Amino acid sequence: MKALAIDNLEKRYPNGVEALRGVSLDIEEGDFFGLLGPNGAGKSTLIHCTTGLAQPTGGSIGIFGHDAIDHYADARQSVGLAPQEPNLDWFLTVEESLDYHAGYFGMPRAERRARTKELLETFSLTEKRDERTRTLSGGMKRRLILARAMMHRPRLLILDEPTAGVDVELRLELWHYVQKINQEGTTILLTTHYLEEAEQLCDRIAFIADGQIVAEGTSPELAARFDVPNLEDAYLALVGRKELSRSHIELDEVEA
Amino acid sequence: MNFPMSSAQIRFATLWRRECNRFLKIKKQTIGAPLLETFLYITIFGAALGSRIKHLHGIDYILFVIPGLIMMAFSTNSFTNNSSSILQQKFQGAIQDQLSSPASPAELLLAFSLGGFMRGLIVATLTFLVSVVLVGLPVENVLVLIPSLALVGFFFSQLGVLIGVRAEQFDDVAFAQTFVLQPLIFLGGVFYSAALLPQPWETLTRFDPIFYMINLVRYGFVGFTEVSIGLSLLALTAATAALFLFNLRLFSRGYRLRS
Repeated sequence: MKALAIDNLEKRYPNGVEALRGVSLDIEEGDFFGLLGPNGAGKSTLIHCTTGLAQPTGGSIGIFGHDAIDHYADARQSVGLAPQEPNLDWFLTVEESLDYHAGYFGMPRAERRARTKELLETFSLTEKRDERTRTLSGGMKRRLILARAMMHRPRLLILDEPTAGVDVELRLELWHYVQKINQEGTTILLTTHYLEEAEQLCDRIAFIADGQIVAEGTSPELAARFDVPNLEDAYLALVGRKELSRSHIELDEVEA
Repeated sequence: MNFPMSSAQIRFATLWRRECNRFLKIKKQTIGAPLLETFLYITIFGAALGSRIKHLHGIDYILFVIPGLIMMAFSTNSFTNNSSSILQQKFQGAIQDQLSSPASPAELLLAFSLGGFMRGLIVATLTFLVSVVLVGLPVENVLVLIPSLALVGFFFSQLGVLIGVRAEQFDDVAFAQTFVLQPLIFLGGVFYSAALLPQPWETLTRFDPIFYMINLVRYGFVGFTEVSIGLSLLALTAATAALFLFNLRLFSRGYRLRS
């Protein structure tokens, strides 16, 4: 079954900017899928259209067989979103942030309590449970956003640059956690600027540029497609910055 | 007996609980300050002016003023709560958590509306209870009073939602409150009777929609009105329904909420 089926998706903003220009993308259930592209390529817009934060101007989005526009309630029930920018309510405590989120998805109180306790422990937030979110450090906020996205046990987890600006320890913790839940059956869509992250975690990767999917495949397939040795060089070829390739530097050093 | 709630009921209860929780966390500002303000009005206009004016239309001046103050407390708190709550959540991005949930536009709109309604209701109820104890405020027409106050609260909740959704900065909310709402309330006859005004002010007052709301509430409490109760209730019901439907359309379109 397709976890996400995007067909010819278009998004034109009122100011005339075409953020998505006919994006088509299929992600199978259980996949760990990476979406890579430079800033402004359309990654976040695609995610916002999928989660209801932006309204597409054309095309369709199916989430586990439910149309994300016409049957948005069923579609959104299956999706968890950890956005790029921390979007926590400063008035709420850590525990309330998780509890309310699960309530929005219709989870009964007893189940919410058990799930909150479980995720607070998983993300090392138990000691912070009564603190207001505005007092948390950047790393703690990032943990909370991930925990919140997981609260309602989504079948599709969307991680929009989840490790941007976090320390090595937290990054590795997150990698372990998302790999674990992926093995347990959760489909994951990851956007990241860290190519080694995508290479290490993702089964399949798509490049998006200027509002269009320009290439898709496994990491070796993408490298072969651009006729370069690795994913990083494929990405640099995509953005037209081959001169930054570290492979050339390494080769030059060997030759010297 | 324990009645299990459906997913939709849990969702709506959570959305509403969150809105109430937000203002209860800062109750000194959201409940305490408006109460103090209302009692200052009662003291200044009721006690100080009341000692000179004594009666208006045969009613103790303080009893004439308090219904308008209760209506003012209900309306301004309902309005302020919703406009600032929505704008703050838009600024923080926190509103995305509700917008990306399975909640329908109607559920979101009602939950935001009822948050402010509850705050207005709490302040208005406390003002009423203290007024009963201190000055023996009567309730002459409870069947007019309850629907009138409910409609006033819901109308201003809707207005708060509308301004909060439209606003792009706090200045927009402050402008609506300071330059539109407050003058309309103050000039709507909270502290005086329109019949006492010289022309053209008496006639102009009748173009202020809040004049009719104050008279509805005043009639409910002390049995005095300068307008038709039936027509005013009908007009207020129609205006509230129209505003709700307009807001629902904005929420359905995602106007300034979804990009």
